[in-house]
Amino acid sequence: MSVESGFDPKIVAFMCNWCTYAGADNAGVARMESPHNILAVRVMCSGRVSPEMVIRAFRSGADGVLVMGCHIGDCHYAAGNHRTAKRMPLLRNLLGYVGINPERMELAWVSAGEAPRFVEVTQAFTKKIRNLGPLAQEVTE
Amino acid sequence: MIAAIREAVAERLGSCDGVVALRRRNGGVAPHLFQKGDELAEMELSPRYPLMTVVSRLHKAFPAIRLGVVARGCDERAYVEMAKRNQIDPTRLEIIGFACTAEEAQACYCREPSPKHPVAGTPPAPGPPNPLVAKYDSLPLEERRSFWKKQFSKCIKCYGCRNICPECFCEACAMEDMAWVEPGLLAPPFPTFHLIRAMHMASRCVACRECEHTCPAYIPLTVLYDLMRRDIADLLGYIPGADIEAQQPLSLSLEQAPLKK
Repeated sequence: MSVESGFDPKIVAFMCNWCTYAGADNAGVARMESPHNILAVRVMCSGRVSPEMVIRAFRSGADGVLVMGCHIGDCHYAAGNHRTAKRMPLLRNLLGYVGINPERMELAWVSAGEAPRFVEVTQAFTKKIRNLGPLAQEVTE
Repeated sequence: MIAAIREAVAERLGSCDGVVALRRRNGGVAPHLFQKGDELAEMELSPRYPLMTVVSRLHKAFPAIRLGVVARGCDERAYVEMAKRNQIDPTRLEIIGFACTAEEAQACYCREPSPKHPVAGTPPAPGPPNPLVAKYDSLPLEERRSFWKKQFSKCIKCYGCRNICPECFCEACAMEDMAWVEPGLLAPPFPTFHLIRAMHMASRCVACRECEHTCPAYIPLTVLYDLMRRDIADLLGYIPGADIEAQQPLSLSLEQAPLKK
């Protein structure tokens, strides 16, 4: 529980098997401190993350959704994350159009070697969501 | 106008196996495949109907037939996107296009109320953009949310928007998948159902507005889809229905279709 607001956000993070998931693993091995709010969903490629999955995460009580994959050019499947790079900004805008704060969704590239970056991204995002407050207020009010 | 089209249809019936158009019979209008010897006096142009869906079914069921179709501007745009996705075989289709009237263009907020080469009618000036788009786009988040929640809560989940849509042809529909849309809940819980469809309309929606016309709950769906059309144009420079050679950008790599911003 955060001391200031008493709100502990739930964040669903889709991580690609080849880069981000390994990066997260390395962060753990190196005993770096990453937020406990992150619920990891391991996917074979960030291109696998369909808009339905993100919407379902919000519908199921996530306060924020992170989609993480390999840097452009490093995709294990050559161009899988290129699709993510195009699809996710569209979805982000769409969330805004129906009144869900687009800041609740973020796309980030984290490679297997970037354990410190994984920690940085997840901490910054958790902080942002904590400031935004629970999504349930927005969706069910 | 209809005389010129009947003439064009009669001519095409010589070279094609049939022409898809609307037919008035028993006081109602419905799609019909006109074949040689059919009474062309029964042919109608109104109301609007997505005839490309009919063409697509016929092309799939009969892999050898050549067809003609009487089409408006929106039908032609729908055809462009369907042909790209292998729903219609362009080599087996001839389009007999006609321009909509200025009133129709106004009512549909149609930016392109005529096919590229109409055989009848003069292309009218494009209709105005939907004023609702600018209105709701400028609202703060909370007001947008309360607006759309109210609209979506009217949904009776009839799937009419999907069924009428010429671009909705997937055999497995995400809106019928229990993982994404829970069965037995009316209206579908915000924001599942409608956001899934809106997202799938990106790079497909040709702004024919059939979904909105058909919606029994009067949900202004095209406001959302117009915004998606704007985004796909801004982000990827793609205008659905404009060019049959342009590949749809969402399934290309960033080298082939780079992000504009």
